[in-house]
Amino acid sequence: MNRSLVYNLAGLRVRTVSCLKMPCYCLVIGLFPAARGVFVRVWLEIMGYLFSASNVSCTLPQGDGERVIFSDVSLDVTPGEIVDLTGPSGAGKSSLLTAFAKLNPNARGEFALQGRDCREFTVQQWRAQVAYLPQKPILMGQTVAQTIRLPWTLAIRNTSRETPTLTTRLRSFFAPAGASADILPDQRIRRMLVALGCEDIDLDRAPHDLSGGQAARVSLARTLLTEPKVLLADEVDAGLDDVNADKVATIMANAAAGGMAVIRVRHRPPDGRASRVLTLQDGRLTAASAREGGAA
Amino acid sequence: MNGNYYSIDIWGLLIALAMVAIAAGISGIMRMGIGKTLLWSACRALLQLCAMGFVMAFVIKSNNPWFVLLLIAVMLVAAVQITLSRATGVPKGMAGPVLLSLVVTMLIMVSLVTELIIRPQPWYAPQLVVPLTGMLLGNTVSTLAVGLSRFFESMRERRDEVDTLLALGATAWEAARPSIVSSIRLGLLPTTASLASAGIVTVPGMMAGQVIAGGNPIDAAKYQFLILAVIAALTLLADSLIMSMVYKKCFTKDDQYQPVGQ
Repeated sequence: MNRSLVYNLAGLRVRTVSCLKMPCYCLVIGLFPAARGVFVRVWLEIMGYLFSASNVSCTLPQGDGERVIFSDVSLDVTPGEIVDLTGPSGAGKSSLLTAFAKLNPNARGEFALQGRDCREFTVQQWRAQVAYLPQKPILMGQTVAQTIRLPWTLAIRNTSRETPTLTTRLRSFFAPAGASADILPDQRIRRMLVALGCEDIDLDRAPHDLSGGQAARVSLARTLLTEPKVLLADEVDAGLDDVNADKVATIMANAAAGGMAVIRVRHRPPDGRASRVLTLQDGRLTAASAREGGAA
Repeated sequence: MNGNYYSIDIWGLLIALAMVAIAAGISGIMRMGIGKTLLWSACRALLQLCAMGFVMAFVIKSNNPWFVLLLIAVMLVAAVQITLSRATGVPKGMAGPVLLSLVVTMLIMVSLVTELIIRPQPWYAPQLVVPLTGMLLGNTVSTLAVGLSRFFESMRERRDEVDTLLALGATAWEAARPSIVSSIRLGLLPTTASLASAGIVTVPGMMAGQVIAGGNPIDAAKYQFLILAVIAALTLLADSLIMSMVYKKCFTKDDQYQPVGQ
């Protein structure tokens, strides 16, 4: 836990140095050493939370009126944190996660990523950073490799390549780019699959032939390889046996150690990896236990 | 339209109706349950065709461009109504996009085919413009109806896939694209099939009509090819136009999936 936090702080510090605000900061600190404490507090306030959500509510239209699933839910997550979300089924755990990813048309709320309001992002940019991993693994494409490379065929991850001409722009508008093996080499996919306990999956296999547990892990691999800042994992380990559930949890813990924040919806007993366990019940989000488990 | 021309008298029509009635009777005996619809549709078609015949005769005789435009406008409105009644499971508010794509393709056809290729005198020659518009509309109507039904059906079937794509950062267009492609492909199937079979399996309606009316078969073939080619191109255009206008109906303004239709 501590190790990852130090790492993250280091990571953030690197980012602040590259920022233009740093010289100003140094100047002010040099002139007024007492201002340092204020700066640190402001910095924590702005940069400390990787992801924050406030006043999140979700109402479903039902018959004539509407049913409130949850309201006024707030959550702040620091980098490297693993937050578990529990609660009775139907409490709206999935709805909360889709609300965070701005995928839920019935939900509204205020969200920020690294202190930047979600309105500063396009929805596509937001979802690439705050990635929702659906409960049902949907694998598109002819082969496992194609399935995992799918995110790189989308415009959101295709912008930084060579300046598009009219023809390439038109073509990419009507037909997505093909395999992007140069961006995501086979080796990296295989390493990820091995880490997830899927070393037996051939990359040329049809995703249709995978077992339920394998499909869930390929789906996880696809999202993890896009390297989001926040991972919203909706019961990823539901179809897995204990050994593989543990492998999945380890992978997510490693990702968290790299600075990712992970919010998991889980029905299994606690695995000791979560830094916090929250319960969503009767439309309220409450802390079930503080710092359950501790170090991973 | 010179040369020998064989007219049909009232008895001919009655015999044709009688044949439909016999077919309906057989289906009634076999309890296929389409006899009534068949008979009813046949009577309706006879009435509509006769009415169209009288109206066209009047418009051709009057030789007035305003009557031609009025007739085309009525045909367009009817085409929109038929498209919407044939398309199943589509949301409300489709009339505008359907009308727009029909008008655009019709204008292109009239300006391109009539005024650029055939160049009749006068420019609005009713006996040319009205049947051509009718043929184009007939094809686009069925293409649009099939395309629209298929698109919304496919979006319902692909619900989870669309959600997954959106979660991975896809735009609404990227998430809807597979459904758009499959619906356009399905909508164009009859058109491409008619292009391929023309002249071998079938003598298409227009060529048949011209030949029966005593026209030169070579001329008739040229006309027919022109019409088939233009219709194929324009139905694709109409379908693409309507898809680009309606695919957003399945999404909120924040690019979230939103189920539509029943």
